[in-house]
Amino acid sequence: MLAGQTRNIIHISALFVAVFLVMVILYVGHVAEIVIVAGLLAYILDPVVTAIEERGLSRTAATALIMSLITLVVVVFWYTVIPIAIVQFKALQAGAGVTPASQALARIEGQLRDICQSLGLGPVNLAEELGKFKTSVVLKIPNFIINDSPALLIGLVMTPFVMFFILKDARQFKKYFISLVPNRYFEFTLDLMYKMDVQLGNYLRGQFIDALVFGLLATGALWTLDVPYFVFIGIFSGLANLIPFVGPLAGAGAALVAVVLEQGDLIRGFYVLLAFVILKLVDDIAIQPLAVGKHVDLHPMVIALAILVGGHIFGILGMLLVIPFVGFLKVVFEESIDTYRRYRFD
Amino acid sequence: MTTPWARIFGYKSDHKQEDVSTIDLLARLPLFEDLSRRELAAVERILHRRHYIRGEIIFRQGERGMGMYIVQQGSVAITSEPENHELFELKDGDFFGEVALLDESPRSATAMAKTDCSVFGFFQPDLFGLIERDSRLGVKIVLRVARFVGQRLRQANERAHTLSLELDSLKQAVLGAER
Repeated sequence: MLAGQTRNIIHISALFVAVFLVMVILYVGHVAEIVIVAGLLAYILDPVVTAIEERGLSRTAATALIMSLITLVVVVFWYTVIPIAIVQFKALQAGAGVTPASQALARIEGQLRDICQSLGLGPVNLAEELGKFKTSVVLKIPNFIINDSPALLIGLVMTPFVMFFILKDARQFKKYFISLVPNRYFEFTLDLMYKMDVQLGNYLRGQFIDALVFGLLATGALWTLDVPYFVFIGIFSGLANLIPFVGPLAGAGAALVAVVLEQGDLIRGFYVLLAFVILKLVDDIAIQPLAVGKHVDLHPMVIALAILVGGHIFGILGMLLVIPFVGFLKVVFEESIDTYRRYRFD
Repeated sequence: MTTPWARIFGYKSDHKQEDVSTIDLLARLPLFEDLSRRELAAVERILHRRHYIRGEIIFRQGERGMGMYIVQQGSVAITSEPENHELFELKDGDFFGEVALLDESPRSATAMAKTDCSVFGFFQPDLFGLIERDSRLGVKIVLRVARFVGQRLRQANERAHTLSLELDSLKQAVLGAER
């Protein structure tokens, strides 16, 4: 019995070491970002690789095929969308569309001035303030590219690399992890991991499909309304939609800024707002129930606090990932209790 | 030493002795007797090897069951609680708990290591995964398990029938003695 206890102590120590290593990795923020993003993408793509495997290909070949397809999509994106982005970026730098924007601003400024005067407040110069803001944003973009490009490049290379191995070897990783669990808790852990896998997999894949469909619909709507940078704002809206409360507002806000500031068209701004309201309704009524199904219900206050904490630690990426992560913790907690009740531990 | 390419693409220059002996063990089991070596290797990849010391509980009666166990080496006692009555003793190559592969009903008996032993766990989630990846192989295994469960059910029915006859004859003998 003593040998068994010693073995259990060794196993538990190994688990603690593993947890400590994970915490070290999490402390090194950028590495954690790469591992988390690669892990999430691998999780989402796992059923696709399994479906290819079912056709008779080995896991390695199926993973290589999926990675090749992703590379192809990235290359196509690079040669079709990036040139448009450069053109739009140059237009932004050159200050194109200033005239209609100035007209719109002048109208808004006039109305604001009247209100301020009636309230006894000081003069308002919206055009100057927005001009400063725009210049600072335009100047920040090259700075961001110069300062953050090495980390960005490492991320772009390392994420697919890590993703490849997670996709290919996830089963072995899981088997190895289970082999570390003491005998008495082994079936319980296996049961728990399976349930979490199903719940979390459905949730993450649902969120991904929701973001994809919302992004495509938003891009279509913005293209129909002739909004500048419609591809970027569409993609951004899809991704931002993953962040509850703030996300839909951020997407609509970006589109509104593009229409009002770049084209000075307040009427079209209203249509953009209306389009986002309709899109959000369609998302809530049709897309989310179909794609995500049974939600990992979280209290609104928990969501708000989680977004703040996620944003504080990992920035925008943290805001994007924190809700799936909190959902994951909730699933772990609930399933642990439910599964624990079915086992007889002394 | 494993080369980086071998690590990436997962090929092995020579089979590990351990894997080969596991496949040989699986090939001898009636449950997997009609599987090819490639199929046995696929089964081997989803098995979990566990080592138990003498007296250690493998699973308890009434607990949720996740799958079956195959005894690789050693001996396992199947006991019924609460009286701790030993129902069977299982040795190398025997398997137990196979009903849990088909449903998630609670374990009908307790399994305890009678000696230090090594067993292979074959569990429902891994079987489901195998069915997803290789449905032909998955269906073959499920069919074999179903046949075994059916066979054991028939044996249990026959045993229940025999016991019922014995009970009847005992009742009649008691009634005869009372008269």
